Amino acid sequence: MINRKKAGALLLVLSLTAGLTACGGSEKGTADQSTENAENGERGTVEISIGRQTTANPKFPEGDSYEDNAYIRMVEEELDVDISDAFEADSGDDYNRQVSLALSAGSLPDMMKVATKDELTELYENELIADLTDVYNNYASDYIKSIYDSFGGRALEDVTYDGKIMALPATSSDAGPGMFWVRSDWAEEMGLKVDEDGDRCVTLDEVKNIAQAFIDADLENTGNVVGMTFDSRMTTNTSDTPFMMNAIMYAMGAYPRHWYQNEENELTYGSVTDEMKEAVALIRDWYEEGIVDPQVGTRTWDDITALVTKGQCGIIFGSWHTPDWLLNNVYALDNEAEFEPYVLVDENGKVNCTHYKATGEYLVVSAEFEYPEIAIEILNLIYDDMVNSDELLEKYPEVNTYLNTGVDGTARPFNMEVKSNTYLLDEYAQLKAALEGTGKKEDISTAEERSNYDAIMAYREGNEDVTGWCKIHSRCKGVDLLTYLVDKDLYNWISPIYPETTTTMETNWSNLQTLEVESLIKIITGASDVDTGFEEFRTAWYDQGGEMILKEIEEQIAE
Amino acid sequence: MKVLSRKEKTQARIASRRKDTLYYHGMVLPGMLFLAIFSYLPMMGLIMAFQDFVPAKGIFGSEFVGLKHFKYMLQLPDIGRVVRNTLIIALGKIILGMVMAIVFAILLNEIRLKFLKKSVQTIVYLPHFLSWVVLASVVINMFNIDGSVNQIFSAIGLNKVNFLGSSQWFRKLIIGTDVWKEFGYNSVIYLAAITGIDPGLHEAAAIDGASWWKRVWHVTLPGMLPIILLMAAMNLTSVLSAGFDQIFNLYSPVVYEVGDVLDTYVYRIGLVGRQYSFGTAVGLCRSAVATILLVSTNKLTKKLTNQSIF
Amino acid sequence: MLDTKSKSAKIRNLVIYCIVIFLGLICLLPLVNILAISMSGSAAVTANKVGLTPVDFTMTAYRRILEDQQFWRSFGISVVRVVLTLVLNLVLIIPLAYVMTRSKREFRARNIYMNLLIFAMLFNGGMIPTYIVVKELHLLNTIWALILPGAVPVFSVILLMNFFYGVPKALEEAAIVDGASQLQVLIKIMVPCAKPAIATVSLFSIVGSWNDFLGGLIYMQKVKDYPIMTYIQSLSIDLQELVNSSMNSAALENIAELSNKNLNAAKIVVAVIPLLLIYPFLQRYLISGIVMGSVKE
Repeated sequence: MINRKKAGALLLVLSLTAGLTACGGSEKGTADQSTENAENGERGTVEISIGRQTTANPKFPEGDSYEDNAYIRMVEEELDVDISDAFEADSGDDYNRQVSLALSAGSLPDMMKVATKDELTELYENELIADLTDVYNNYASDYIKSIYDSFGGRALEDVTYDGKIMALPATSSDAGPGMFWVRSDWAEEMGLKVDEDGDRCVTLDEVKNIAQAFIDADLENTGNVVGMTFDSRMTTNTSDTPFMMNAIMYAMGAYPRHWYQNEENELTYGSVTDEMKEAVALIRDWYEEGIVDPQVGTRTWDDITALVTKGQCGIIFGSWHTPDWLLNNVYALDNEAEFEPYVLVDENGKVNCTHYKATGEYLVVSAEFEYPEIAIEILNLIYDDMVNSDELLEKYPEVNTYLNTGVDGTARPFNMEVKSNTYLLDEYAQLKAALEGTGKKEDISTAEERSNYDAIMAYREGNEDVTGWCKIHSRCKGVDLLTYLVDKDLYNWISPIYPETTTTMETNWSNLQTLEVESLIKIITGASDVDTGFEEFRTAWYDQGGEMILKEIEEQIAE
Repeated sequence: MKVLSRKEKTQARIASRRKDTLYYHGMVLPGMLFLAIFSYLPMMGLIMAFQDFVPAKGIFGSEFVGLKHFKYMLQLPDIGRVVRNTLIIALGKIILGMVMAIVFAILLNEIRLKFLKKSVQTIVYLPHFLSWVVLASVVINMFNIDGSVNQIFSAIGLNKVNFLGSSQWFRKLIIGTDVWKEFGYNSVIYLAAITGIDPGLHEAAAIDGASWWKRVWHVTLPGMLPIILLMAAMNLTSVLSAGFDQIFNLYSPVVYEVGDVLDTYVYRIGLVGRQYSFGTAVGLCRSAVATILLVSTNKLTKKLTNQSIF
Repeated sequence: MLDTKSKSAKIRNLVIYCIVIFLGLICLLPLVNILAISMSGSAAVTANKVGLTPVDFTMTAYRRILEDQQFWRSFGISVVRVVLTLVLNLVLIIPLAYVMTRSKREFRARNIYMNLLIFAMLFNGGMIPTYIVVKELHLLNTIWALILPGAVPVFSVILLMNFFYGVPKALEEAAIVDGASQLQVLIKIMVPCAKPAIATVSLFSIVGSWNDFLGGLIYMQKVKDYPIMTYIQSLSIDLQELVNSSMNSAALENIAELSNKNLNAAKIVVAVIPLLLIYPFLQRYLISGIVMGSVKE
């Protein structure tokens, strides 16, 4: 009896398993018959399923959705396609999970974006994605090609495997150094000259003095001003991430979390250099003197945002666009508030800055999809025609409305940016010209900058609207500072290496990072000594895989 | 009336037993069917623990690597500290959480004002429904240096404490806030267990002159014992889960030393190259430990109360 | 209560009342805080200025929820899900728990089933294989994907089982003498006696399926099919993570607009209300709840 039952249950499980196996493995291998009928142009309405990134705040007009919105309707009509979502998920963890699930279940959408190089490599190695070399060369518009070329080969190299272009990369343009935003209304009230010589560059000593002055003055009567504060990760591998110590460390010639060739042409990891040790020692001194937040290391983003908004902190490290989404809160609560951005310079008076990795995410096309050229055509349409052709926008006024009302980019078929490496400065130049009267609003090429123009003009005429305040800060102060740095030739650019995840990284990287943040925060907060603490960290870092990883990256470079 | 022979009686009993058995199988089957499909079938995924699972290759295409991930787990430099933190925090939560819920249930049972009793019961069960993402900001605001707790501290002349960044306080904070969040919801079970105790026992004890304390000790608690043991056994199965969401939203590198637990550690490892196999291996170990604990507490319970949990 | 009039008893009662009220208050605080946030201006919320009373009082958040169609759609999906899950849970676990109370002598396969149940409680195959099963059964994007994988909550089976032990054997035997089948015994004797315990496992089922958000994230591929908690979760954004994932400034702005925490707070408040309403209703049964489950013959 028992045995019969047992056997029955087992059989049931087995039979289900068998069914599953059959289903799981079968959906591959129709890749080859594809390109034939693509040539003669007779493809009819093509159905496309895509993996869709979503956002919490898409701002669709009433009735529109991810699958049915102005962009999608335009693409569908122009290219005679029918787009549907294979899955939708919030960008980040949720989206990446759906990608993994789709992969595991063997059901790739026709087109989707993947977030990491590792995923791209995995797709390539398992022959799941289409070779886009021919369609890119034949179909991509000159403008699109010029965008990718503006990165000097770095963009396409990244997606080229064995000489084949396997994905269309999203571009990630340099955003300059992390600047620091100072409450200029406070400085003015106190009669404090932040930048005596007016060169918009400030030394480490100077920034320390500003912080001390703000602490002493406590203009908002908070009783507890924090000189400067940082996120608990302290450093990142992008130059301008908000609330990071990067700017301070860069000014001392340390490039934490970056791999690069040092002056002796040796591959180096920035967080274990002598310069890093000095930088950490400096921040530790500042911590002891009370310049740096006594709670540094435990602060969350919300905490820091609250400190700044409450007027408890007057120095904020961040990117040029920080005013748009963070400092706006300060203005909303206190419309006297003003900020001015400055950059930190090293002892030679130069602004050290690391190049971004040229590519962010990757658009891939399923190997089974018959018409890979459509991916390129969509790219042309959205990132070339829509930017450069007025007729297109006249034909689709609703798309224009989308652009002007700031409907989120996730509404587009692929939520990615394809822009030249210098787009930021180029677009600002147009905006600046229009604002100064040397150009016209109509000459501004993007809808975004055109609406920025309107907002700024309205603010100048006295509407006191927060958007105008933000755009003046982010553009006329932030990007203007970046432009200034280029004009005055103040940059000292570092070109880091952005390696693929190596074997040792896979197993040890997480530990090494834990080791890094933990050791450094201990030094900064005085829990361990600078010299012994840092040497211990450095030795441990090399021993626990760092040395191995350096070798592996060198091999990668050699290839 | 025909008197049934002994043999016939036995046959009848066997027949009815057969019929019962058939019924039993029939009653169990639907539930087991669901378990077979949605629990047992997916357990094939456990073989991922012995593979280098690559989503694009699927479960049947990925390469087998034997015990690689288990060995790797044991060799991780921080594994000792992480397991220790996990055990301390999880046990703290289990023990204090149960004590608090039981004490609260006993106290609430003493409340005679129906309105008060019902509203307090409803209120304490509320925090359970708020996720840690939401509650974390409440906790941070209360316990950071400018927070209300520190304001009280300095008002009564104590030094301010950075609770979230202090190795001495962090675990206490984690355990304390978790107990606070869950005790109300958990007390539902104990409260019900108390109300079921025969009031006659209490009266008899009172007539014997037993004090309130003695009655709680000799009547109420023994009456609750089976449920307490059941819950203890069930809770013990989570001794290797210290609560990811809570810790993830409250910890920082400053307190990794005392606050980094298995889940947060595995999470950080997973950030580098989506390590499904490693995660599965950790899960498998966790399940194995839970099984051992559950089986042994079940045996212990049977010894203590003559009745096993399952 | 014989001694309620004595002095020490009065003091004791006072102390107990104080403790209970105190505990009630500290549990109320976060909710009051969240309620206050939901009714405050967003800048005040960002600045962390809201304590237990609203600052810059406004009801815009609630007005926006009323207009948010997806919120109500998701709300509806969750209601359907909770009801169906509850029914399915009860239909499956009541007979299971009943059979599990039989001794090994009465039902020889009992221990095998029991071990299978325990095994299913302790081990799980993980997200990916479960997803594949759900997909191959063509349940993705249907409400059943949110219901069927959790059809048999084993903990509830064990709880219910412990209760059934408490139903007097005599009742059952009497029914059998009257010629009732096992199924009839279950329906006519056990279930009525078990009402309080069933209320308890119902509470767990309702709370569990209402609060679950991960199921929706995994099995629902379109935002429009999200249950309420998944929807709310997808709105509570981590600005930090987004800034790091190289977002463009326009996208960041859109997102930051939402860190309008007052709106999220309002959504949490509205989502908790159904659970608040259901509790007093079940409380009636719970008073004599699992009781008998604990007191065995």
